[in-house]
Amino acid sequence: MLDTTDTPLQSLLRRRKPGYSLEAPFYTSPEVFKADLDIIFHRHWIFVGVEPDVPEPGDAMSFEIGGTSVFVVRDDDMGLRAFHNVCRHRGAPLIHDYKTTIGNIVCRYHSWTYGLDGKLLFAEHMGADFDPSCHGLKPVHVRSLEGLIFICLSDDPPADFDVMAAKMAPYLAPHDLRNAKVAFEKDIIEPGNWKLTMENNRECYHCAGNHPELTVPLFAYGFGFAPEELGEHERAEADEYAKLVTTSHREWESCGFPSEMVEHLDDMVTGYRTERLPLAGDGESHTGDTKAACAKLLGTINDPKHGALHFWTQPNSWHHFMSDHAVVFSVLPLDAERSLLRTKWLVHKDAVEGVDYDVANLTAVWEATNDQDSELVGYCQHGARSPAYEPGPYSPHTEMLVEKFCNWYVGRMAEHLGR
Amino acid sequence: MDASTRMMDVAARRLGSALPAWNPDTDDVLVVQAVREETHDVKTFVLAPKNPTAFHYEPGQFLTLDLEIAGEAINRCYTISSAPTRPHAISITVKRVPGGPVSNFLHDTLKPGSELRAVGPMGDFTCFRHAAGKYLFLSGGSGITPLMSMARTFHDLAIPRDIVFVHAARSPADIIFRDELELMARNQNGAFKFAPVCEGDAPREPWHGLKGRLSLQMLKLTAPDFMEREIFVCGPSPFMAAVRTMLGEAGFDMARHHEESFNFEELAAAEPEVALEVAAAELAEAAKQAEAPAPMGEAPVAAPVTTYQVTFAKTGRTIEVPSDKFVLDMARRAGVRLPSSCSKGLCGTCKSKLNSGTVDMKHQGGIRQREIDAGMVLLCCSKPTSDLVVDR
Repeated sequence: MLDTTDTPLQSLLRRRKPGYSLEAPFYTSPEVFKADLDIIFHRHWIFVGVEPDVPEPGDAMSFEIGGTSVFVVRDDDMGLRAFHNVCRHRGAPLIHDYKTTIGNIVCRYHSWTYGLDGKLLFAEHMGADFDPSCHGLKPVHVRSLEGLIFICLSDDPPADFDVMAAKMAPYLAPHDLRNAKVAFEKDIIEPGNWKLTMENNRECYHCAGNHPELTVPLFAYGFGFAPEELGEHERAEADEYAKLVTTSHREWESCGFPSEMVEHLDDMVTGYRTERLPLAGDGESHTGDTKAACAKLLGTINDPKHGALHFWTQPNSWHHFMSDHAVVFSVLPLDAERSLLRTKWLVHKDAVEGVDYDVANLTAVWEATNDQDSELVGYCQHGARSPAYEPGPYSPHTEMLVEKFCNWYVGRMAEHLGR
Repeated sequence: MDASTRMMDVAARRLGSALPAWNPDTDDVLVVQAVREETHDVKTFVLAPKNPTAFHYEPGQFLTLDLEIAGEAINRCYTISSAPTRPHAISITVKRVPGGPVSNFLHDTLKPGSELRAVGPMGDFTCFRHAAGKYLFLSGGSGITPLMSMARTFHDLAIPRDIVFVHAARSPADIIFRDELELMARNQNGAFKFAPVCEGDAPREPWHGLKGRLSLQMLKLTAPDFMEREIFVCGPSPFMAAVRTMLGEAGFDMARHHEESFNFEELAAAEPEVALEVAAAELAEAAKQAEAPAPMGEAPVAAPVTTYQVTFAKTGRTIEVPSDKFVLDMARRAGVRLPSSCSKGLCGTCKSKLNSGTVDMKHQGGIRQREIDAGMVLLCCSKPTSDLVVDR
């Protein structure tokens, strides 16, 4: 059958070759980017921050998802609410700061005032016929998964968030993110399409050659290798690692820390992956010396040697939960060729900077790694613009999870555009 | 000792050297020494403490009278008309307002020997805090009192000061302190210029001077260099609003414009809701016509209330706010402009830092407990429970 009704994007999606990187327009085309926003970022659960970003009633945080401004606010009952950051009068943003504290929600322009439930409480000079109840703020779906805040711009958000949440909660709960605080956070703009940022995150093929800091706490073969290429010594190391994973999992699970790998990266609408992994060296944390960066441990953890729980979500986040701190990452697309990478380092809320932890030590590994990754993403973005670029094959041993990211993406796009 | 010798004694004692300063905390009773008829409806009450003490104040400040009228406690502020250069007595000058309980009480019951309780002096509407070589005083009706105090002070000190004193009255018969102002002008050889403006004639005195309501044109005639002067204004709120508009039109630097609302009864009386409408109406009225003093109305006696001083640290203004009135509302009526919108504790636009003092605040979510703990208040829904200093 001729596909004369196909859009160029549908054609691109249909001819995507499994096991290969995506064609250039997926990384460079403004039209594809627009479709990405509409289909991926406006219809899926997007990770935007953590509960410690808005710890107390009246705390608000605003952010943009592909030009759509949204804010999350902590209400008086300690609940989380999210709204479109648009006044129902003439559209001015209500929250201008990234993070702030408010009483009610007030538009600075004409002081239209909304309660934290979004109801319009006050609008002067609007006449007798004006009905405030028709001009409340537009709510946005918001969920917290053990302190990780996800929002969905769609009126009909993917229901399988609950499936993920039920599975993940026991993994995350011991780290008690709700009783943590953001010790440091940093935004960087990566010079690449958001998918390149995500793809880069989904493999460690590039780690040995690029991340001298990150590979101190992480085992080189933790994310796969080609067995036939290993020398004797390397094979021994890989075997050791495999054993260590098995024994660590057994030990951690026995004391109440779920550890086994769960992976639904391309078979769920709300795709995710988790596993608690052993760390190299002293095995405590993602630090330069692999020792815990914070003297006060998170949640109920009483031993710093509880490895690093990683948790990835499609389409835009990854997280590392150590016994002493957590690092959470959110990718927010800016345009076809630029993405915001927002990283937050969290420690126990009672930990005192300069006493229990040193910020430079806490952030060193991932600050360095993010900068290195940003540069690598820029390389790929540059390459995607070249007429010589064509999709290349993924390593079956180390890039399986990149492949799953692309499968998920292509699947979600095709689902909405019609196959 | 005969009566006249006794009288001399009292006078001599009052002039004793090194008199202590009057302290209302220890002795708040003032005795009426004299009652002077300034015009047909304006009287000056000369007050002195029972035990000789000296009054120290800055010209332009006010006293708060603590009165009991028909069994009810009432506080009223009156700017002092006397000059601190004559520290042995203090004067307030009061215009009788038809139906006004306080002014009528003062006019009808006070006579030499009457006793009053008072606190003060206080207030920061004084040229002494804004030293300048040239002043322009603009007064309307009985708003003349603080400016008279300033004029008398410079006159007594005989320190040359270029002052143009423009006073707006209904008729020549209503010009308060007319003879004395003319005398001061003669004594100061042109350095002091007195320019009364009358709306109309008096029954036996047609007015040949500046006639009508005070206008920018008149201002330019009487004080051609008014743009260079430090300006002090006192009068009914429409008068002051009109002056503001006038000076605004002329492009005057409003940092050198100072105003005092002496007409406190009017400010304090109305309910906040009514007050808002009145304030809006006053502004509209002011815009419509260049104002001269409007007849002042005293509102009915309200329940007994304490009045507190509210000082705005950045603008340097001080206003009086009764404990049953909202700070924002009183500020608005006194011409202190603060960002605000909903006026009911919802929107938080008027959120301000309280440098000192306490309030009774009934907000509706426009402020967080954390902010309150940090010393913030919403002025629109806060009633003072002490003197306040607001960081605005």
